[in-house]
Amino acid sequence: MSQQMSPVNSSNRRGFLVRVIQATHAAIGATLAFIVGGAVVAPSLGRRESQWLHAGDVTQLAEDVPMPVTLRIARPDGASEVVERRVVYLVRSGDRVRALDSTCTHLGCRTKFNAESMQIECPCHGGVYDSAGRVISGPPPAPLAAMATRIENDQIMVQV
Amino acid sequence: MVGRLLAWLDSRTGYRSLVKLALDEELPPGTGWTFTTGSVVTMLVGCQFVTGLGLAMYYVPAPSLAYDSVRFIMQDLPIGWLVRGLHYWGASFLVVAAVIHLLRVFLLGSYKAPREVTWLSGVLMLLVILAFALTGYLLPWDQKGYWATTVTINIARSSPLAGEFLASVMRGGPDLGALTLGRWFSAHVFLLPATLTVLIVAHIALMRKHGISGPVAPAPGAGVAFFPRHVAKDTVMMAAVFASLIAVAALVVAPLDEIANPADASYIPRPEWYFLSLFQMLKYFPGPLEPVATMVIPGMVVGFLLLLPFIDRGEGRHPLRSPRRMLTAALAAIGIGVAVLTGLGVADLPAGKDPNDWGLLPIAGHAIATADGNTCAACHESGGPAAPLEITRLTKDEEWLLAHMADPVAIAPGVRSAGDPAPAPVMSRFKAQAVVAYLRREQAGHRAPQVEPSQRLAALTYAESCVVCHRISGEGGTLGPDLTHVGVRRDAAGIKAVIEDAPEMYGETEMPAFRDRLTPEQIDALASYLASRK
Ligand code: FES
Repeated sequence: MSQQMSPVNSSNRRGFLVRVIQATHAAIGATLAFIVGGAVVAPSLGRRESQWLHAGDVTQLAEDVPMPVTLRIARPDGASEVVERRVVYLVRSGDRVRALDSTCTHLGCRTKFNAESMQIECPCHGGVYDSAGRVISGPPPAPLAAMATRIENDQIMVQV
Repeated sequence: MVGRLLAWLDSRTGYRSLVKLALDEELPPGTGWTFTTGSVVTMLVGCQFVTGLGLAMYYVPAPSLAYDSVRFIMQDLPIGWLVRGLHYWGASFLVVAAVIHLLRVFLLGSYKAPREVTWLSGVLMLLVILAFALTGYLLPWDQKGYWATTVTINIARSSPLAGEFLASVMRGGPDLGALTLGRWFSAHVFLLPATLTVLIVAHIALMRKHGISGPVAPAPGAGVAFFPRHVAKDTVMMAAVFASLIAVAALVVAPLDEIANPADASYIPRPEWYFLSLFQMLKYFPGPLEPVATMVIPGMVVGFLLLLPFIDRGEGRHPLRSPRRMLTAALAAIGIGVAVLTGLGVADLPAGKDPNDWGLLPIAGHAIATADGNTCAACHESGGPAAPLEITRLTKDEEWLLAHMADPVAIAPGVRSAGDPAPAPVMSRFKAQAVVAYLRREQAGHRAPQVEPSQRLAALTYAESCVVCHRISGEGGTLGPDLTHVGVRRDAAGIKAVIEDAPEMYGETEMPAFRDRLTPEQIDALASYLASRK
C-alpha cells in the first residue's frame, strides 16, 4: 500500500473534504437558525383572533343618537394578559344598528360625543364627525371605522 | 461576482491571511480522534449561546411572570419547547463534554509545562459552566428551581466567617425573591457569558501558542494538517453530538415543575444530577461538620485540579507509569467518589409529586371549578370585567388566590376594614384550596384526568374533611399518616372501619369518628379509592 497519490488526486480529495466540512457546519448552523429563528419569528406571523362581544340592548338606543359603550377586550399579551377598554358608539337608524370605533382617524385620539351639537368631536386637532361617523370638518381623512355588528333577540353583538 | 467582492474585502481587511493563520497548523504526527473533545465543547457552548438568545427574548426575570413566561415558551410559542429543550439538555451535554475534555487532557498529560496556564483557564471554564447551570436552574421559578436554590444559598451560608454576608449577597437581601432572581438572571445572561467568552478566547490562543500536545509517545512519520484532515474529524464528532442533542431535546420534553411556592416548606429540594453528589455528601456531615461537605472537600478537589500541572512536573506523560500513577489514582478516586455519591443520591431521591398522579385534591378542585353554576365564569368571561380563565395567569401568590376566591370583589386581601360586615364567602376556604391545587397542576401543563363519579365524590369529601391532616401525592397536611400508598397497608374494609370510628380502632387518637359526619356513600367512595392506592 502506498500512501502516495498523484497531485491531482490528492487535491481532489482535499477539495471534497473541504466541501463536506463546510456542508456539515452549514447544516448544524441552519438547524439551529431554523429552530431559534422560528421561535423568534413565530409570534409575528400570528393573527389576532376576533371575537364577538355583547355591547348593549337595542331598545336602549334612541334613533340616530350615538351611545358610547365601553367594551372590555381581554387578550393574552405574551406571558401576561391585558384587558383593553375600547369605546364604541352604537348608532341605531331604524332597525339597523352600527358600531363606530371612537378612535379618531386623524392621529388616533379618543373622540367624544357632544349631545348638544349632536356631533362627535375630537379634542386633539378639532376634527368633527356627524352622528353617522362622516367627517364634517377638520383634519380627519376618513370617517370613523365601522365594526361588524349583529343583533340577537334585541342584544347587540359587536365584532372586535 | 462574489469572488470579486471577497477579493475586494480581502484587499481592504486582509481577512484571508487571518483565516490562513487560523487554519494552517501542523499537528504532531498521530494526532487523532482523542483530540476532538475540545471542539465538541466549543460547539455546545455556541449552541447554548444561540438558544439562550432565543429564550431571553421571551423570558421575564420577575417572580410574578418568570414562570408564566417559561410556560408561554413551552406551550404557546411554536417550537419554543424545542428551543428550551435544546438549552436545558444542552446544559447537561456541556457538563459531560467538559468533563470528558478534562479527563482527556489529564490522561494524556497535556497540561504539563509549558501548558499550565491553558489548563488553569480550562478548570476555570468548568467552574463557569457549573455556575451557568446553577444560576439557570432558578430562572423558571418553579418549585424545583426555587428550593434547589434555597439549598445552594444555605450551603454558601455555612461557609466560615463571611457565610452570612455571602448568602445575603447571593439573595440580594434577607429573602429569596425578586432581587435574587434579578441578579441570578443578570449573572446568567451577562456576566457568565462574557467571562466564558474571554476564557475561551484565551484558552484557544494559548493552545495555538504552545501547539497541540499530541500522542503520549511521539509517533513516527509526518505531521497532520489541521485543515482539512483534523478539522474533518472535529466536524464528524460535532455533528454526531449535535444530532444526539437534537434527538434528546425532541424526544424528552424539558420538564417544568409547578410554580414556586415559598409557603410550601414541605417540598423536598432536588438538585440537577451534576450537583447531586455534593447534595448527597451533605447528608453525611450533619450539624457543625457541614462545612466539611460544603467547603473543605469541594475546595480540595478544585484545589487539586488547579495545582495539578505544578505538582506533576516530571517528564513522563503516560497516565499509568510513574511519576503519574499516583495522580491518576487520585483522580480516579475523585471520579469514583462523585459517581458513588451520585448513585446514592439517585437512590435517595424523595418521591415527589408525580404529575400524572393527581391524588384527590386537584381532582376536587377541577370538579369545583368546572361544576355547573360555578361563579368564576361570571366575571372571567369574554367581554367581562376579568379575562377568561383560559388566558388568566397565576401571577398572584396563594394567599391572594384564596382570598380572591372567597371574596372575588376584594381585589386586594385585607382591603375591607374591620368595621365592614364580612361578606358571605362565595367559596369556602377548603374549596378554594382545592381549586388552587388544581390550577397549579393545570398551569404546569398537565391535563385533568377523567374520573368516575365515585372518585369525584371521594375527592370532594377528602377536600372538605381529610386534607387538613392527610397527604396524598404531595398534597395535604402531615398531622396524620401519608395516604399515598395506603392501599398497600389496608384493604377497603379496613380503611372503612378506620374512617367510621378511628378511636374504636386505635384507642387514643386525634382522628375523630366520621360515621355520623359523612354519608355512607362518601365513606364507601373514600375507602374504595384509598384501597386502590398501592
Ligand atoms: S387626532 Fe383627531 S383631529 Fe387629530
